Amino acid sequence: MAGGLHEAPDMELLQSINNTAFSQWVRESDSLLAYPAFITLHTAGLAVLVGINAIANALVLSASPGRTIAPVARFFPLMWAGFAVNAVTGVVLVAADATTMVVNPVMWVKLGFVVAAIVLLRRIERGVFSSALASSDAPVDGTGRMLALASFACWFGAIAAGRLTAYLGPVAGLLEG
Amino acid sequence: MKQTMEAVSVWLSSTALSEYIIDHRWIFPGCEIFHFVGMAMLVGFALTLDLRMLGVAKNMSIVPLHRMLAFGLVGFGITAVTGLGFVVAAPSQYLPNGVFWFKMLFLALAGLNIGVFYTSGIYQAVETLGPGEDAPAGAKLVGFFSLFLWAGVLFWGRMLAFLGIAF
Repeated sequence: MAGGLHEAPDMELLQSINNTAFSQWVRESDSLLAYPAFITLHTAGLAVLVGINAIANALVLSASPGRTIAPVARFFPLMWAGFAVNAVTGVVLVAADATTMVVNPVMWVKLGFVVAAIVLLRRIERGVFSSALASSDAPVDGTGRMLALASFACWFGAIAAGRLTAYLGPVAGLLEG
Repeated sequence: MKQTMEAVSVWLSSTALSEYIIDHRWIFPGCEIFHFVGMAMLVGFALTLDLRMLGVAKNMSIVPLHRMLAFGLVGFGITAVTGLGFVVAAPSQYLPNGVFWFKMLFLALAGLNIGVFYTSGIYQAVETLGPGEDAPAGAKLVGFFSLFLWAGVLFWGRMLAFLGIAF
């Protein structure tokens, strides 16, 4: 997409995204089904995805022989559902405010952390939990612990950058004034 | 009621702590970041334990999930401190707004639900649940209420910015 990190953003394109009837409705409607619903669903998806992921990470870090963590694998579909909700609502929230969100570097930092956290989640699911499922005695190795720690760090980065999109960058209250 | 809350707000905003938070502009966004971090920790703990009692990941015994209690409590502590930060910094946005009190009501009911869980014998009945064992009906009810009430806390928290409910 034009407007990546290194190219100058195509402001006309972003403006036309802003001007679609849907973006305008999300941004300007007084209906609770517009912006309030999307931001609330985005928060609920975060709670499900990051909340369960954090518990899974903590279980990986506290795992020891005889303490099986394998059944936590049953929670993974729920995490992916949370991610799906947040991918959709996230795209809508950016589209509603494309001219500020897309040009805000903090939003790209957030997206980088989210992508990293999702890659880590997939690796934890495939590596740590599938081997734990295969054998209830399978110990969590150093790689598993590193993945869990990195996951915590990435979600913290994603949440922090996500909140800061309201303060830093084009919309900006914190640095100016 | 509204007038009382507005008077309390005026007093709170004149306190040194309130002025300190407003003068140091990074504190409020910092509280927002940690409010979300704490929320994820707390909800993650409640969600996994509640869903296990409702039958998801039934092959897991309760013990390792309940061992995450400290994790959830730390999360709650973080949301409580940062939440107080918001109220002290900008009391007029919270105290005179009915939405804030709906959030507090759901929070209190969630706390009551936890009280029932630990004092009614339900916790004693589920703490020994091994892999594959079904939780009793009382535990399922507590788990269901917990999910509903925490979802409500999140909902009212988000609505603070969009809904104003007068007393």
